[in-house]
Amino acid sequence: METTKTIINYTHRQAGHCESGATSNLFKFYGLDISEPMAFGIGNGLYFSYIPFLKIMFAPMISFRNLPNTVFRRATQYLGIEATVIKKIKDPKEAMAMLDRNLEQGIPTGMQVGVFQLTFFPPEYRQHYNMHNLVAFGKEGNLYHISDTVMEFPQVLTYDDLLRVRYAGGAFAPQGKMYWINNLKPGIDIKPAIIKGIKKTVYEMIGIPFPLIGVKGLKWMARDLKKWPKKHGNEKASFYLGQILRMAEDFGTGGAGFRYIYGAFLKEAGELFGNHSELLEAADIMGKTANKWREFTYIGARNCKNRSKPEEDYSMLSEMLMGIAQSEEVVYRKLEKIKL
Amino acid sequence: MEENQNPVYKNKDYGQSRELLYSYENDGQYKKTVGFHGEPDRIILQQAWDLFGERIEDARKRVKAGKVSPVVYYMEKNLLDPMNLGMIAGISLWRVKWHFRPVVFNRLQEKTLKKYAKAFNITIDQLKNIE
Repeated sequence: METTKTIINYTHRQAGHCESGATSNLFKFYGLDISEPMAFGIGNGLYFSYIPFLKIMFAPMISFRNLPNTVFRRATQYLGIEATVIKKIKDPKEAMAMLDRNLEQGIPTGMQVGVFQLTFFPPEYRQHYNMHNLVAFGKEGNLYHISDTVMEFPQVLTYDDLLRVRYAGGAFAPQGKMYWINNLKPGIDIKPAIIKGIKKTVYEMIGIPFPLIGVKGLKWMARDLKKWPKKHGNEKASFYLGQILRMAEDFGTGGAGFRYIYGAFLKEAGELFGNHSELLEAADIMGKTANKWREFTYIGARNCKNRSKPEEDYSMLSEMLMGIAQSEEVVYRKLEKIKL
Repeated sequence: MEENQNPVYKNKDYGQSRELLYSYENDGQYKKTVGFHGEPDRIILQQAWDLFGERIEDARKRVKAGKVSPVVYYMEKNLLDPMNLGMIAGISLWRVKWHFRPVVFNRLQEKTLKKYAKAFNITIDQLKNIE
């Protein structure tokens, strides 16, 4: 059998967050120079939800990010870029054939995958987490060339491995989801997209009339955190606290639950709008809030190390989280009133 | 790499890859650095793996004692809960829980065993005899 070889001249750049990194890399491939924080901000990556009755990895579901594929979909929508997103492909072989056809035409293609069986991924992260994104940019015989923005360098995956991760089961199953850009005209003005992106994020963080989403969800979690040791015992409380921190710090967030990336976006946007003072101020508060998140991690991790004998009081941690929620709310209230 | 690069991790395969991390400096600049996570981040990750390890070991003991079927061991090994296992294997939640009994497991049809083997990515022989 002849080995076919097609490799697209696609530049891999490491990024903090898998999806906005992939989106930014794809835009750059088509000649639109947008950084990772910019793609993240326009595509409304920032989010918070706390769902105590739904357990993921034996702890309440806490999410610092939007639903999978939001960043790419909204960014292309707001910027007016023609893109295709296929949510579900029933036949796995057909899904792989579609990917092959795309690669032959020279289109780098993004995919949603599950992390657990991803062979090149750092082993400490291999849990059931189905919202990971990567971009395939070449095929060589049985091997696919993969750009995963969490990793420092491009990777390779075999046909079977790629098929398995694209059809990983469980919650938020990828079901072979893939997306690519069809047409990107030069000379796109990104300012209107930034305004739309900020408005949508502000709505999602303080506007949704449901108590478990956005800043309200953060406050709810802070109140719950106080009750955990009594309700579940020290062991479990420390594991639940660890879950908050893991979701905020470890799973490809660029640190502090995407707050650093969002702050960087606000700063970049402020500079783009001619050093807009209010935006820069919001970026400053966001950065300080993110530093508070880091501090929260430092103190919380001490509790996790000594599980049965907590060193710090949970009510103190709860107050700290409440303070974080309030200072985040200040940012969104500021952004709500801003006139650009 | 040095021996004691990541003293927190018990498994030496962990913590070998560098990631891109953001930070906010006092002068108001956002900075990107490529490097390893700090110690608190590693403590919390190791905490999760400790719990998973305990659960796997506990399940192995229970299977060896004949109290539960090997499905439980492989479920814990793959970090699943009964609901997710049902979703992946294509078997309903109540049937999955029913199959946790050794007696029921021993008279399972080949068809069902194949479903489990495929979900756990192992052979049927491995499914029946845990190491």
